Amino acid sequence: MSSRNDILSAIRSHTGKRYEMPELTVDAIVYEDRIKQFSEALKAAGGQAIVLQAGEDVNEVIRRHYPDATRIASNLPDITCATFNPDDLSDPRELDNTDLAIVEGHFGVAENGAVWITRQVKHKALYFIASSLVILVNKEDIVNNMHEAYKRTEHAEYDFGCFLSGPSKTADIEQALVFGAHGPMGVSVILR
Amino acid sequence: MKIGLFIPCYINAVYPEVGVASYKLLKSLGLDVDYPLDQTCCGQPMANAGFEKKSLEMALRMERLFKEYDYVVGPSASCVAFVKENHPGILEKKGHVCMNSKKIYDICEFLHDVVKVKELKAEFPHKVSIHNSCHGVRELHLSSPSEQNIPYYSKLRDLLSLVKGIEIFEPKRMDECCGFGGMFAIEEPEVSVCMGQDKVKDHISTGAEYITGADSSCLMHMGGVIKRDGLPIKTIHIVEILASGL
Amino acid sequence: MSTKHSKAAASFIANRQQEAWHDETLWMVRAKRDKMSRSLPEWERLRDLARDIKLYSNSHLDTLLEEFERNATANGAIVHWAKDAAEHNAIVEEILKQHGAHTLIKSKSMLTEECGMNEYLFEKGYDIIESDLGERILQWMNLKPSHIVMPAIHIKRQEVGKMMERVLGTEPGNSDPTYLTHSVRKDMRRKFLSADVAMTGANFAVASTGEIVVCTNEGNADMGTSFPKVHIATFGLEKIVPNRAALGVFTRLLARSGTGQPITSYTSHYRKPKEGSEFHIIIVDNGRTDILAQPDHIRTLNCIRCGQCMNTCPVYRRTGGYSYTYFIPGPIGINLGMLRNPKEYADNVSACSLCLSCSNVCPAKVDLGEQIYRWRQKLDELGRASGEKKLMSAGMKFLMDRPAWFNTALKFAPLANQMPRCLVYNGLNDWGKGREMPTFAKESFNEMWKKNKIK
Repeated sequence: MSSRNDILSAIRSHTGKRYEMPELTVDAIVYEDRIKQFSEALKAAGGQAIVLQAGEDVNEVIRRHYPDATRIASNLPDITCATFNPDDLSDPRELDNTDLAIVEGHFGVAENGAVWITRQVKHKALYFIASSLVILVNKEDIVNNMHEAYKRTEHAEYDFGCFLSGPSKTADIEQALVFGAHGPMGVSVILR
Repeated sequence: MKIGLFIPCYINAVYPEVGVASYKLLKSLGLDVDYPLDQTCCGQPMANAGFEKKSLEMALRMERLFKEYDYVVGPSASCVAFVKENHPGILEKKGHVCMNSKKIYDICEFLHDVVKVKELKAEFPHKVSIHNSCHGVRELHLSSPSEQNIPYYSKLRDLLSLVKGIEIFEPKRMDECCGFGGMFAIEEPEVSVCMGQDKVKDHISTGAEYITGADSSCLMHMGGVIKRDGLPIKTIHIVEILASGL
Repeated sequence: MSTKHSKAAASFIANRQQEAWHDETLWMVRAKRDKMSRSLPEWERLRDLARDIKLYSNSHLDTLLEEFERNATANGAIVHWAKDAAEHNAIVEEILKQHGAHTLIKSKSMLTEECGMNEYLFEKGYDIIESDLGERILQWMNLKPSHIVMPAIHIKRQEVGKMMERVLGTEPGNSDPTYLTHSVRKDMRRKFLSADVAMTGANFAVASTGEIVVCTNEGNADMGTSFPKVHIATFGLEKIVPNRAALGVFTRLLARSGTGQPITSYTSHYRKPKEGSEFHIIIVDNGRTDILAQPDHIRTLNCIRCGQCMNTCPVYRRTGGYSYTYFIPGPIGINLGMLRNPKEYADNVSACSLCLSCSNVCPAKVDLGEQIYRWRQKLDELGRASGEKKLMSAGMKFLMDRPAWFNTALKFAPLANQMPRCLVYNGLNDWGKGREMPTFAKESFNEMWKKNKIK
């Protein structure tokens, strides 16, 4: 514990002027059509937003977009196109070679196309290991910006939470953009 | 109002015509302008090189020279910025409260904000590319810095727009440094030259015949590159354009 | 008159094609950032807030860190404190030992770079695997990062392809970035699944919740922490923010400033260890509390490591990260190097034309250029001032303090115009490298005024 005390006492003896915490008021951007803005931002991030039309079945839509997926993971009861429940696996490593994972997100953020996810599956690996990821979000649940997003999650309980915006990507070789660095190559957000 | 004309050392030695144009321009606007004799230097070269203490005498000297004037006006944004931003700190160490910092203006800033000129007799039927100098932009706020999300403005463009026949351009990287930077130019010569060449190229790509700006030091640097490489563009201080025909 | 930086810079520029590519590529990142910042009318307000929050948090580190520790501990994390690099590395080693671990999979962390952790652990026989693509490339090539956000920006795709032929057996001659990236993906997948311990840095540590936030585009931090039973997160103590509302400000600025994206692909909040796992958090000082005692330089602690000061710096873009002697290059690196060891890293102070673009681009309003100016004033007493510059400054002072001498000099200056070229443009004339000398006027302004020629 001595390092802890040494550091804290160094802080106390070296700190000069103590500044006030500013009022975090921002006249932040809001969008007339949040779904449109969310979709555009997600597209720019390499993902796609799919707005579920009246009468459309979410399982059919998923199958239509991912016809080649054979190993499909989901623990959501209404996702009948899933081929297995990832929560039945005891070791997250068994999730390797999953073609498609279908999960739920709490809400989307219009300014950047991100979806707030907290771990609601046994293994958080699921969000990252599948080749493609589908996130289901309610159409009404899109906030304008990150200030609203953090406000909304003020009292949220989670062990792991993530703002996830589009697929995994990198530009580390000559700034050339490549999707699927380690995580999903593609991300679709179905707004229903 | 009494205006003391501030002529920095290198304008005195290399570009006296810029000083002359400044004087004539202010006079032509009916202003009471005088030149307190025997000016030397504001002390910026030594300070930027890391020897601010060596600038003290020069700062004190300038305080004495301009004591009786309401305004100090000079045709060099960088030198003016140095007096404004750095003289107070230098003088403070000797217990002197800097007076010049509150009344010194770059001549463009002065014409734009204090005199508020709305017309000029000048005529300059040429294409010019504005050189937004670092200290002019980021210390004296002569134009909106490209880094900030604020509405575009340019006091230089406003003034040049009063000149008949002129066509005004700006380079793509509108306020990137030309690489002069005082002793930086000789301490990091390869970088400095590279920056100068890139900047001149950017100005040339606008199709302009002249690079113009409020800082003779940048113009001197780019002029050196232009001359060495035989490039198809010239430099001219903005005051010479505004005073053309006087 | 030269510094280690100016010499290294000269050799980088000697390859003008590579220099131009580097300059243009990083300028494009700056342009992307400009576009992003202009998409938000509240941008400048966000910068002000970021500065003010950091001024608050960095002047309340004692209470905020204690609050963080309390909350993190309540979350089930194990909090460690490291005074310096050695203690940091020893803590990591001890955790590895406790778990009988051999492989550590690590996402990008400039702090572990600062602590020399990889080298330390390699020597002890541990295997460290960098999981960020750029860092992995550097690890294979045995190189250091040349940029804090785009660590391998100085390496061409052909070099990467060639190297991967050797280490991964990729197709000879194939340097397509997609192909190369996906080859690494395959290889890394096995590494992610088999690593014993995961390590991440932290972009933010939230006092009010005891969570840490890690931002990546690749998802490598999240993949890395998804399989091992142990996660070690390490952060420099200035990464603390008071609460999640503050995150609202910083997450809007970070990626927009860093890469010109509205947000990174993954902004992950690690709050509690998963069941049956351990979550270790190391709070590192390593010189940071000393900065608190230097009011002139305190704002360097505002830095959120977006790297945009490098992209906007006209010197960095043209000289590359390796021209600096400190492991962090560019404007922030010049300053952090001086704070680390001013005598050792004084060579970088020349790498600045004082254009102040960095200060204007910085999302947390670190007064980078102004601080470099202040460091220059201290070089003389540090014994690191250039003798020639000092002599020139002294000479100028002598002249400028004496108007009569100055006027005499002005009178004779035009003679210099007549000097033979070979005397003017020799190896000693640094101005003459690439530029013609200015021509002195026949009559100075002082002279003309005295002769009443100016009317």
